[in-house]
Amino acid sequence: MAHYPEPVARLIEALQRLPGIGPKTAQRLTFFLLKRPAEEVRELSEALVAVKDRIVYCQTCFNVTDEDPCRICRDPGRDARLICVVEEPNDLLAMERTGEFRGRYHVLLGALSPLDGIGPEDLKVRELLARLDAGAGTAEVILATNPNVEGEATALYLAKLLRPLGVKVTRIARGLPVGGDLEYADQVTLSKALEGRREIS
Amino acid sequence: MQIGWIQLRDFRNYRTLSWSPSPKLNVLTGPNAQGKTNLLEALGFLLTGRSFRTSHLAEVPFWGTAAVAVTGELHRLDGTVTVRRALERLENGAWRSEGAGCSWARAVAFGWHDVEILNGVPALRRNFLDGVAARLYPSHRAALVRFRQILARRNSVLQRGGADAAAQLGPWDEQFAAVGMELVDRRRRATAALQTEISRIYPCLAGECHKIELSYRCSVGEAAEPAALFAALERHRREELRRGQTIVGPHRDDVLVELDGADARVFGSRGQQRLLALALRLAELLPITEATGTSPVLLLDDALSELDPSVRDNVLREIEAAEQVFLTTPEPLPVAAGGRWAIHAGGLAAA
Repeated sequence: MAHYPEPVARLIEALQRLPGIGPKTAQRLTFFLLKRPAEEVRELSEALVAVKDRIVYCQTCFNVTDEDPCRICRDPGRDARLICVVEEPNDLLAMERTGEFRGRYHVLLGALSPLDGIGPEDLKVRELLARLDAGAGTAEVILATNPNVEGEATALYLAKLLRPLGVKVTRIARGLPVGGDLEYADQVTLSKALEGRREIS
Repeated sequence: MQIGWIQLRDFRNYRTLSWSPSPKLNVLTGPNAQGKTNLLEALGFLLTGRSFRTSHLAEVPFWGTAAVAVTGELHRLDGTVTVRRALERLENGAWRSEGAGCSWARAVAFGWHDVEILNGVPALRRNFLDGVAARLYPSHRAALVRFRQILARRNSVLQRGGADAAAQLGPWDEQFAAVGMELVDRRRRATAALQTEISRIYPCLAGECHKIELSYRCSVGEAAEPAALFAALERHRREELRRGQTIVGPHRDDVLVELDGADARVFGSRGQQRLLALALRLAELLPITEATGTSPVLLLDDALSELDPSVRDNVLREIEAAEQVFLTTPEPLPVAAGGRWAIHAGGLAAA
């Protein structure tokens, strides 16, 4: 890339570090930005900086927020006895979009991942235990980590840690997507759905 | 089932090929290095989306092309399905396999390297058995992928060691035991299915009475519960931590093949081992037919060479059990039935 002017090469470099962006996409984005009005580009750069400057982690649930504690942790209408544990802030947003869950959250900011050297001490596990210890009268912890091997390991680890505390620990179900056809479901999902079947009352 | 027609674009040494093979036996002849095995590979790729020769998809495209396409029509009694598969080059230079398959399409492939199932390292026998299990039980492949992920992460914890390693292993052990025993269970069932068939097929092929015994050798013996594997991990904890790797589990299991009471790896002659390997592949036909409701397509690469003429006739008689067969051979065969095709430099003509 030696033939690009230095600022162009630098931006391509920087964009390439983003997840899901390869060298070609980085080039395309760079030249796209080059053609936009200066004002629009300035807005983008300010938005980037503002995210870093103004967004903090809620010191209770570790969701991203612009005020600490976050809106969910301050909301008196939400059931503090119910804690849903998720891996990332994105997962929390997904849960929120359902509008069904009226408890509170705890974001681990990752999952157990030995290949990346991420162990329990790198996750917000201690903080979760502290929350339960604080005597808020937690009745149930819902483990909503991803259904992949890392998420599963994280859930198993937490379950073992939490069970002795006398709190009810549950794991979200795995199964078929609503509106889908059995015929097109993959084998693993289908067998998990069968495993987690329920009696119709 | 049968392949009604197949069309290749830029697959190995085939630039373009459109072919309607015979619904029964197809004998492919031609000198070496003209594309006989490549064509078998393409037929397998159409059926399964995988290559039976390589796991490196980059080997498959015609040199210098950016895309490979294989299209074909599959028939069985109750219908016809058109399958389109492609290999595409990604931005990062890797190749990706595209296209959806057909749930009942299966290929059973035999090649000269299959003799290694008998005389090679245990990993080759596990691969063989996993292949059979995946054709019989479609969820096996996904479980295998999951198992490998768990194994890699568990080994990573073992290698890092440290004071709390034993505590960190907990969640990985639990998954390892659950998915591991799932694999063991399917491999045992696959072994049992092969056993029934091979005890009939091998004597038929050899033309004399022999006793064949297949047994799955599992690191937890006969146990079938995840708890047994979990307990085995705990028993070996200290040694595993010292060696930095997982030493019990389905990734260390083996299949013992006995011919008249003797270990076939050691006591079989090369001819016997080759015939046994072929018999192992043919033993898949009936179990797969029962599982999918239709007979798999048989792809036999140079299966008749090094065999006595009488054994050769026995093999030809035995493969009639399959609906559609593709058989490559360097010299023309004295068989009347089916289609005969001559292959020359990436092209094909009726012979």
